[in-house]
Amino acid sequence: MRPGRWGLAGAVLVAAPVLVGIGYTALGAVGVVGVGAQGFGLARIGRVLGERAVWSGLGWTLAVATAATALATAAAVLVAVTFRSTRPGDRAARALALVPLPVPQIVAAAAAVLLLGQSGYLARLAHALGLIGAPEQMPPLVYDRSGVGLILALAWKEAPFLSLIAFSLLAVRGAALEEVARSLGAPAAERFRRVTWPLLWRGMLPAIIAVFIVQAGAYEAAALLAPSDPLALPLLTLERYTDLDLARRADAFVLGFVGMLLAALAVAAHEWARHRWELLEP
Amino acid sequence: MSGAALAVERLAAPFGDQPGLDGIDFTVDPGRRLVIAGASGAGKTTLLRAIAGLGPVTGGRVLVRGRDVTARPAEARDVVYLHQTPLLFPHLSVLENVAFPLRVRRMPEAEVRARAAHALELVQLGGLGSRPPRALSGGQRHRVALARALVARPAVLLLDEPLASLDPTLRDEVRGAILQLQAEYGAALVVVTHDLDEAALLADRIGVLLERRLAQLAPPGELFRQPASLAVARFLGIPNALPGRVHGDGTFECALGRIAPDGAALRAGPAVAVFRPEALAVADRGAIRARIVEIRHRVRDTTAIALVGETPLEVRIDPARMPAPGAIVALELHPGSVTVLEA
Amino acid sequence: MTRRLPAAFGLAALALSACVPLALLGLWSVAGAWFYPALRPPTFTLEAWRALASARARLGPAALASLGLALANGALAAAVAFPVGRALAALAGWRRRLGAALVFLPVAAPPIALGIGLQYSALVLGLGGTPLGVLLAHAVPSVGFLSLYFLGIFTAFDRRIEDEARSLGASPAQILRRVTLPLLRRPIAEAVLLGMLISWAQVPLTQLVGGGLVRTLPLEVLAYVRSGQDRYAAAGALVLVLPGLAAIAAARIAARRAEVPPL
Repeated sequence: MRPGRWGLAGAVLVAAPVLVGIGYTALGAVGVVGVGAQGFGLARIGRVLGERAVWSGLGWTLAVATAATALATAAAVLVAVTFRSTRPGDRAARALALVPLPVPQIVAAAAAVLLLGQSGYLARLAHALGLIGAPEQMPPLVYDRSGVGLILALAWKEAPFLSLIAFSLLAVRGAALEEVARSLGAPAAERFRRVTWPLLWRGMLPAIIAVFIVQAGAYEAAALLAPSDPLALPLLTLERYTDLDLARRADAFVLGFVGMLLAALAVAAHEWARHRWELLEP
Repeated sequence: MSGAALAVERLAAPFGDQPGLDGIDFTVDPGRRLVIAGASGAGKTTLLRAIAGLGPVTGGRVLVRGRDVTARPAEARDVVYLHQTPLLFPHLSVLENVAFPLRVRRMPEAEVRARAAHALELVQLGGLGSRPPRALSGGQRHRVALARALVARPAVLLLDEPLASLDPTLRDEVRGAILQLQAEYGAALVVVTHDLDEAALLADRIGVLLERRLAQLAPPGELFRQPASLAVARFLGIPNALPGRVHGDGTFECALGRIAPDGAALRAGPAVAVFRPEALAVADRGAIRARIVEIRHRVRDTTAIALVGETPLEVRIDPARMPAPGAIVALELHPGSVTVLEA
Repeated sequence: MTRRLPAAFGLAALALSACVPLALLGLWSVAGAWFYPALRPPTFTLEAWRALASARARLGPAALASLGLALANGALAAAVAFPVGRALAALAGWRRRLGAALVFLPVAAPPIALGIGLQYSALVLGLGGTPLGVLLAHAVPSVGFLSLYFLGIFTAFDRRIEDEARSLGASPAQILRRVTLPLLRRPIAEAVLLGMLISWAQVPLTQLVGGGLVRTLPLEVLAYVRSGQDRYAAAGALVLVLPGLAAIAAARIAARRAEVPPL
């Protein structure tokens, strides 16, 4: 084995499509390549970044990703802490928590439409309970500015990944450290506050960052569950890219570059978090 | 009894789904050290964890400072259990680690800092308070764990094989810290180990855990000189066990002759004499004839295996006057070093 | 004691959360005309499932296309990621961190932006709208993900057994064939399955690089949901999810039998 150079060369090769993509979208953003290229100029970037639709779309996307990540993290921690023993009931709970793990995003989104739509199953239950009459009376959870349906679908799909990590952290290090804390006199609430939670959030942070950036870039869930205004960033990018007006198509390069930049930042943050608390890894 | 820091009465604790420990009784006074010695798998850790409240109990009681804590959770027992490898909280500094038991007791900030700093000073780590645990050496981590365990002045400290995996220098370091901290904080110590040398280094009294019970509980000198049973003698590694018979006049007869052992009067009947190699010597003259079959060299001494009839015995020999293998020698037994036990 | 009641609620909530979405998909996939506010389908039909099995409808061929792509992607991505992960595991310090960050990029990159770039490359290479182009597109995030996976595997792998084989006279190729690969049979199989899952579920890359010509199952499900054809959408969605669930269940059962920590 000749390490060193081969390792990094391989990694660069794997990352090449993205690195090329970053370069391509950057060049397209300044008008050098791609559809609608009119020669080098920063005007397009200025115009696109000045658009209200772009900023509200970006803000909305990040807000939804934050909410979905927070929800998934809370669920994962709650399940991991509540069901940590080896009793059959706890093991069943942990297994159930992992069910959504292999579910494709499109399936989660489709199920969300069927469940949370205005004529979905939840609405029908509400009707059966006498809470609403016509479907329009059901508060819109999908295809709505509130993004509730999208947040729920994304959180449901990503929580198992965080749960796995939380389970592992608690089982390997959490159990031993908790025992130490108990023996030193700490009651349950203090143990959670001073030992379990600090251990969990530090150990989970890389995964939390990963989940966040994946949710921010998610296409299919947004395609089914997000509203048309504000338009989520992936959808906005696609919309511009397929615009009939060729001049607007190049806007997609600016938006694509912004997305790539966010991803690169997230990857850097992920690596930093992994290294910062390396010793807490299970 | 009422002054005892820890009292364990008829304690029974299971091993998994096996019956486990069966009726353990002992007390430990503040400032004293009891070491429980037993083979690996004998239930030493089970016992400690049961006392600490970290493991199940199927019978008996645990009393700390006179109060029955058997039904109380681990955090409310005033008993600290220390794992073999120091488990410091990785996200807290060394000082914060030591301060942990004080903080969870909601002590005022100034007092927390003062007491934690003092504990660190006691183990000569005063300058390392702001470091993370991973920056410390193994011995330093042991010392921090000990300081953290005792800083809140618990009644009892339970140590699970504290010196087992340490090299000699580290052993001294950790042992020193244990003794120093105990002298300062006055806790009662219960230590478990499989290593009799480690036990002898730490103990006021040693309890031998055999067959799920405490077979003997005595100060080290007494234990080593007068094991209470054949099983204890075997556990202590006393190599020579010579079967024989006790007569009505209290004398013991065996292949090595008739001796009158001191100590308590023995019942007539079959018995076994146990003695160390030092109790036997190669003599110029003597009634017992033995054939040397093997010489064993060790760092501390040299012994020979000699056959008396069919029975092999280990004899201490002087390397300057070493007999050859196969030679027939005369052996002499010092009756004062012999313990006669019922078979 | 008092902890039991909220824990029981939690268990029930988890069971509902796990089962309700899938149960709904199941119901909808066999439901006749089922409108608001009916809680149960008035009639049942297997039409959507027959469409899946049929070559003339859209679901059937799409499922087959997805399966083919998934198998090819799993094998390809695992084969490429294996040496990359191995090489990365041999690195230390900043090089290792940089390497791990690099292979993570294709996973974190927003698929639409990535797809736009890949579409361009596909067009240039003449692979636009072809299954091969889509396969290569799927491989991009898959190789990244599996490289991280193998990095983890090889970090935990005790290289000393390879050294042992070397001192016994085996060449590097022989070591690979006789020692490393057999020892890592399970992780390799898992990697292939994970690669299959990534391709199986993929939507935006297929859409952009396939240009509408390569129809996979998730694309059909998306289209059916959008057009309100819930029955076909539900059937397609169930076919999308069941293999993954079956694989995880099988892995856990196998792991419990072997007394080895799963996944």
